[in-house]
Amino acid sequence: MHDMKRQQVFIQAAEQISIQQPLSEQWMEDPIRNQDLLVKAINPSFRDYMSPGEVRRMGNLMKRALVTALKVLEETGIEHPDAIITGTSIGSLDYTEKFLEAMVENGEEALSPTYFMQSTHNTVGATLGIYTKTHGYNTTYSHGDLSFDLTLLDAWMQMQLGKIRTALVGGQDEMSELYFSLLQKAGYVGLEGMDPCGEVAMSMMLNCAENPENLCELAGINVCQLSSVDQLKDILNKMLDEAGMTMDDISAVMTGVSGNPANDQTYREIIESFFQNMPLLHYKHLFGENYTVSALGVYAAAHCLKKGVVPSFLYDDQTQARCDQPKTILLLNHMKGKEFSLILLKKI
Amino acid sequence: MESIFITGAGVVSAIGIGKSETLASLRKEESGIRQMKYLPSIHQDLPVGEVQLSNEEMMQMLGVSHNPFLTRTALMGRLALREALEQAGLAGDKLNEVPFISATTVGGMDRRELFYAKEKECDSVHAHALISTHNCADCTEMIADYFGTFASLSTVSTACSSATNALITGANMLHCGLAEMVVVGGAECLTMFHLNGFNTLMILDHQPCRPFDRDRAGLNLGEGAGYLILETAASVKKRGVQPLCQLSGYGNACDAFHQTASSPEGEGAFLAMQEALALAGLQPSDIQYINAHGTGTPNNDESESYAIRRVFGDQLPSISSTKSFTGHTTSASGSIEAVFCILAIQNQFLPVNINWQTPMENGIIPVMDPHPQTEIKHVLSNAFGFGGNDSSLILSKIDA
Repeated sequence: MHDMKRQQVFIQAAEQISIQQPLSEQWMEDPIRNQDLLVKAINPSFRDYMSPGEVRRMGNLMKRALVTALKVLEETGIEHPDAIITGTSIGSLDYTEKFLEAMVENGEEALSPTYFMQSTHNTVGATLGIYTKTHGYNTTYSHGDLSFDLTLLDAWMQMQLGKIRTALVGGQDEMSELYFSLLQKAGYVGLEGMDPCGEVAMSMMLNCAENPENLCELAGINVCQLSSVDQLKDILNKMLDEAGMTMDDISAVMTGVSGNPANDQTYREIIESFFQNMPLLHYKHLFGENYTVSALGVYAAAHCLKKGVVPSFLYDDQTQARCDQPKTILLLNHMKGKEFSLILLKKI
Repeated sequence: MESIFITGAGVVSAIGIGKSETLASLRKEESGIRQMKYLPSIHQDLPVGEVQLSNEEMMQMLGVSHNPFLTRTALMGRLALREALEQAGLAGDKLNEVPFISATTVGGMDRRELFYAKEKECDSVHAHALISTHNCADCTEMIADYFGTFASLSTVSTACSSATNALITGANMLHCGLAEMVVVGGAECLTMFHLNGFNTLMILDHQPCRPFDRDRAGLNLGEGAGYLILETAASVKKRGVQPLCQLSGYGNACDAFHQTASSPEGEGAFLAMQEALALAGLQPSDIQYINAHGTGTPNNDESESYAIRRVFGDQLPSISSTKSFTGHTTSASGSIEAVFCILAIQNQFLPVNINWQTPMENGIIPVMDPHPQTEIKHVLSNAFGFGGNDSSLILSKIDA
């Protein structure tokens, strides 16, 4: 950072619709354990939040995104955030496939524009802007497993630059049977013994203002590509240093292990290299695997820091270490063992 | 705030492979909009701006062996990025401190639509390849991996403003001190998916498009890629490189009006242009040329004309849309047109708005004479996307 005074960034509120109870933190007390390989998100009663026409017209992904966003706006009392930044890997997959299917089966004639109009990856972000009449900065990242992490980085940068004070960020991905079967064949989800494949909609408000209601502080974020995990050490130390912390200040490390050896191997390597005997947390056994599920990891960690507890079922059995009163949680996420994100959350 | 310079640029579109072919076409006023040659669509009556190379020819130019899953987006992206990196003097071993931010929306849809009917019974190798071609991130990786390991990769996807927004993210990274150089831009190939999508919206012209003309009847789709190296002043000095121009301002705003239409008063466009001017510390009168979004649809050109008048009043700079050369290159248009703006500044000429004949009511009169009345110092470029994701950037001559 060039001679800039570091701007503190807080997570003010966060809501989710996923394979756990929607719009609630019930998962912290009484999580739903899913056994199926593919689990659809539990939708709330959309009619409580939007008109019957909107419920009919919008796809599931959009409705989930909109409801989580509206709830966060209501909780924070922020009508028009300075920025709306959205992350999605496969976007409106359902609409994309419906349009593709119609085109492949019926040929290139007599197609309807409805599905196409809602198929672009920025549909969610743009619709949130339209729905809330918010004219500020609006962008969408579509970068696989790191799509959500990049929204945090973007908001964080603009807060450091003084361009924005508030940002509504989120991650959304749905799953179709067809795409699931492709992902299963490719070994990404749906393997025996693996956490289920889920669906994700999470919205959170980032705010520069201190407030006792804030969930936690976003104390650091880094997204990088590495040729070996050894390089992570320098990046982590720099991030901790800039946050005025050391390794000893980390209460727990939350990883994206999922029971898929191809995915878990990278985390195990990192843990072995840098975090031996550190309390380890995981979240995909509760929220499932899907590209933007890291959004639910950040959401879960933020709520743990707010409540000052780590539910026993969040511990990864690889170590016996525990943290009774978490102060700082470091989240690790990676894509194909090459691209990584480090997210540092701190109790306020 | 520290100045940001552009030290390398590469471009591929219907009017040429590389900057010199592109410049020649712009100066000769030769459009690249032609009858469809590579896209296997039944809509042969729709003219398009295709890159005049087959996938196989691009693979040969890149020296890679034949691979049916290598997407056209990635192939065009590699060609444009190779030119940009060479100009900036960046080789593979220097990329590990340089973030790469790339833009696309349809990504590798050209491959998925080709194999879609067979997806249900495909094997694991093909499944892997198919997923790769649907994910925007995989296009970015496919482009990047050819050159080495960048510091980080990200993919921006805001429909037709994607590349401009990739540039904005990269510029913010530099201002934040996260890097001294970033590579930004976008790539997008034609697909049957979005050709048919735009066709169902009835905004494709069956003739070569006529931006800002009274009788305009829609856009022509195009394809291509454009990449830029953005670099801090300190890094330019340290490396002793010659910048092409300065990135002096940029803005992003949301029209917040409709999923596929622009508001009549062009609020998002107005705000994006205002923000770019404010960041650059410039007055509207400082701008000599606007490369408009100018798609040729009745709605865009009317809304954009209105927004430009709101910012510039009656003293309009020279304005043109270059989409009558390339077609609308969607996610790549922001960076492709940024390269056109660099060429305009370096060569002191105005890319004209070919195919224009009749003024539209309350519309802007686009420039038809390539000779500028005054020195071109500051150029503004617009890119607007579905859902009202509107962005603008300002490029300036080095000694301006």
